[in-house]
Amino acid sequence: MFDRILPYILAGISVGGQYALIAVGYTMVYGILRLINFAHGDIFTAAGFFMVYLTASLPMAVSIPLVIVLTVALGFLLERAAYKPLRTAPRMSVMISAIGASYLLQNLMWYITGGLAKQYPVLPWLGDNVQIFSASTKVVTIVTPILTILLVIALVMLIRYTKIGMAMRAVSHDFETSQLMGIRINSVISMTFVIGSGLAAVGSMLYFTNYSTVTPTVGAMPGLKAFVAAVFGGIGSIPGAVIGAFIIGICENLIKAAGYTAFSDAFTFALLIVVLLFKPTGLFGEKTAEKV
Amino acid sequence: MKKMSKTRLIVSLLAVLLLYAGAWYAETAMGANNMLITVLKKGAVYALIAVSMNLLNGFTGLFSLGQAGFMLVGAYVYAVFTIPLKRHAAVYQYYNGGIIQFELPLLVALILGGVVAAILAALVGLPVLRLKSDYLAIATLGFAEIIRAVVQWDSLGPITNGSNLLKTYPTFSNTKILGTTVLFPFIVSGVCIGLILLLINSTYGRAFKAIRDDEVAAEAMGINLFKHKELAFVISCFFAGIGGALLAMFQGTVQANSFKSAMTYDILLMVVIGGMGSVSGSVIASFLYIACSEWWLRFLDNEQVINGFQVPLLRSGFRMVVFSVVIMIVVLFFRRGIMGDRELWDLRLPKRKKEGGALK
Amino acid sequence: MSKNVLRLENITMQFGGVVAINDLSMRIDEGEIVALIGPNGAGKTTAFNCVTGVYEPTNGAVYFHDKIIAAAHPTGKMKRMYAGPDPDKFKNLHVQLTPDQITKMGIARTFQNIRLFKSQTAFENVLIATHLRRTSNVFSAMFRLNWKEEKRNRERTMELLRIVGLDDVAGEKATSLPYGKQRRLEIARALATEPSLLLLDEPAAGMNPQETLELGQFIQQIKKDFGLTVFVIEHHMDLVMGISDRIYVIEFGKQIAEGTPEEIQNNQAVIDAYLGGNDE
Repeated sequence: MFDRILPYILAGISVGGQYALIAVGYTMVYGILRLINFAHGDIFTAAGFFMVYLTASLPMAVSIPLVIVLTVALGFLLERAAYKPLRTAPRMSVMISAIGASYLLQNLMWYITGGLAKQYPVLPWLGDNVQIFSASTKVVTIVTPILTILLVIALVMLIRYTKIGMAMRAVSHDFETSQLMGIRINSVISMTFVIGSGLAAVGSMLYFTNYSTVTPTVGAMPGLKAFVAAVFGGIGSIPGAVIGAFIIGICENLIKAAGYTAFSDAFTFALLIVVLLFKPTGLFGEKTAEKV
Repeated sequence: MKKMSKTRLIVSLLAVLLLYAGAWYAETAMGANNMLITVLKKGAVYALIAVSMNLLNGFTGLFSLGQAGFMLVGAYVYAVFTIPLKRHAAVYQYYNGGIIQFELPLLVALILGGVVAAILAALVGLPVLRLKSDYLAIATLGFAEIIRAVVQWDSLGPITNGSNLLKTYPTFSNTKILGTTVLFPFIVSGVCIGLILLLINSTYGRAFKAIRDDEVAAEAMGINLFKHKELAFVISCFFAGIGGALLAMFQGTVQANSFKSAMTYDILLMVVIGGMGSVSGSVIASFLYIACSEWWLRFLDNEQVINGFQVPLLRSGFRMVVFSVVIMIVVLFFRRGIMGDRELWDLRLPKRKKEGGALK
Repeated sequence: MSKNVLRLENITMQFGGVVAINDLSMRIDEGEIVALIGPNGAGKTTAFNCVTGVYEPTNGAVYFHDKIIAAAHPTGKMKRMYAGPDPDKFKNLHVQLTPDQITKMGIARTFQNIRLFKSQTAFENVLIATHLRRTSNVFSAMFRLNWKEEKRNRERTMELLRIVGLDDVAGEKATSLPYGKQRRLEIARALATEPSLLLLDEPAAGMNPQETLELGQFIQQIKKDFGLTVFVIEHHMDLVMGISDRIYVIEFGKQIAEGTPEEIQNNQAVIDAYLGGNDE
């Protein structure tokens, strides 16, 4: 029994960590702009393509940092082009802009790649096989949760102890007032997108090492699931997003272990709906009341 | 307000009739396989779906992203119950010919598609309509994904044919009216949109708009939020189901896998381009959207050489890039869309200062 | 003895550790104009929200024409945090009607920070409020089988607009109206729900002395014409003293005085509460 389930649990932890890295981007953006950044999954996909194209001509040691830089730049650009002009618009407009941006990114990637699946390069060491108890797996499976937790701890420290972190907390608490207090909200928002995209880039390296091919729409599903994880954990809460992501990653793989692979996506959403019904603000979310 | 005067009503109806006559004439002149006719048929189908979504998102202020799921239900109900019995063995080849051993008349199946979608919406609405904006969006999106997974479930195969195609059911070429295929979608879609318009301009429609504008005030005015949201949701999904069935008729084959969230996004963009809260805007935008993506921008996908000069950028996929850039421009800079929240028939009429005038 | 329309019994409203209203009891009799006054942040609007079903009180009960519309006692986490009196008095009661049910029973309100339907005209704003007395269902409304009722509602809407003096701007967008007119539109909208008790939340806010004076006369007029009972929150003392039959004063959520305008004007506790100049 254990031998049969172990590989699924390992895969669950691994994919959970990858979701977590994406989910942090969702939850931070939501915390500050109250916006579901539908294009975040496509940023993640773009990071995959950057790696494919860069490694074609550059050595790995140069490509990896360059991928992160390019992804961050893309995230920054996305915010400036698609969300900044709508700062005072109703929330629905911004959400629609996010959907439009996602559509544009997907079509752009389709155009550039010709719509064909691209082989993701094998990253050294991460792609090697290791033996854990009875299960054989790639190194990335072990590295993902560790790296995820380290990065998230670093992020939480950043938010708690640095000036920009303090500004982020202030803006997420009260957008208008913090603006009046002299916080440059535009740079705070940009910083949020930079961090979110950077983490998505790392997440994409780990994810595609497992799944090996990149297509223009491949990011949509992990993107949605990471968002579900963020809602599950209580949107706006970083530890919540990480815990939610691990729970979803593990549950999804256990469903696969039980032989219901077709339902693994549906299950994620069912879980979300159940959580929303019984704890509408997620596991660690704060309650807000509308003033009448 | 918006009490339409008799003359305006008659003029509008005449204009619609003229449009139908034009479509009929175009098909008799050019044949059913002409690109224009294809676009007209698909546009009519999407017009209904976009208007049904606008009823929710634009008029009631419920940001729902579940449209594709309810279209899927309508499409499947229609297809499953209209596949001719003698074709069952071929269609359900992996499931011993399926377990549904009867067929329904086309119109009955079409309406049943809407009814089943509406019943499902009533059940889904019970929990999710209590959620607020973004949460509602993500929950309805989730439900659509769940529906898609369930329909493809192998155990339901004898009914839904699992993840395989449904085909050989009657299509628009089986529903010729006056010798043309284009009139059936036009009439069904037109009647449905007419019903939605009647609803929007009734006291219930006013209540929907009140909820959109201010939930707290609407509730304080005695409007039961949940009941009215549920009503809007069920009616919208009923018409989305009919729209899905029409789409199945248009396509000739139907497969659950094509009803992804991307389809919902397409429809949402039509609604936005037309203008949230404008029925005529949604209709115009649907035709434009379909025409652009299927027809007018096609040339962008083909490499072209003019005078020995290779036109840059033109190759497969460029059409969608241009298209999405246009959409982004609309979303960012023309946020009110083509019509804003006005209707075509309200335009170019002197603004009435006094409602009192209409009463005397 | 006159019948009482609204009765609050030991209402306590606590948000987390903050006690917004502490053990407020009051009654309003038929045909009265009763004012609730108090310094900013005293909990006046919170009291309104408890009556109209927007908030569920932490403890206490609200009766309308002797029927319970809200009754609660501290439960769950609140049991430990509860800082008000009598946590056990309403132990066996738990009723919470929703705002729309309460409006249907005959309580209508206006809002302190005007909440009109933004995209609608003045006429439509009032017309929407006739929806709750409909006899049509969705099908009869869709196919206009309710045209008689519809016509009646439109006429009544116009009549109400005439009463509040807005018939000349019926076709204007509600939000394009000047502030004073928006306030009157809110009153017309509330009247369209056919209430027996009208709750006005700072109806004179932002008005000059002349407008305030007119508003006072207007409130007395509609009270007479519609056979209303009026419950008003207000800061303008001229208005309050001029129209009220009785006044309740609260400070920090606690009732500090109750009585006729003369009694209140001479009440030492009230004078102390308002000392420091907030007497506009």
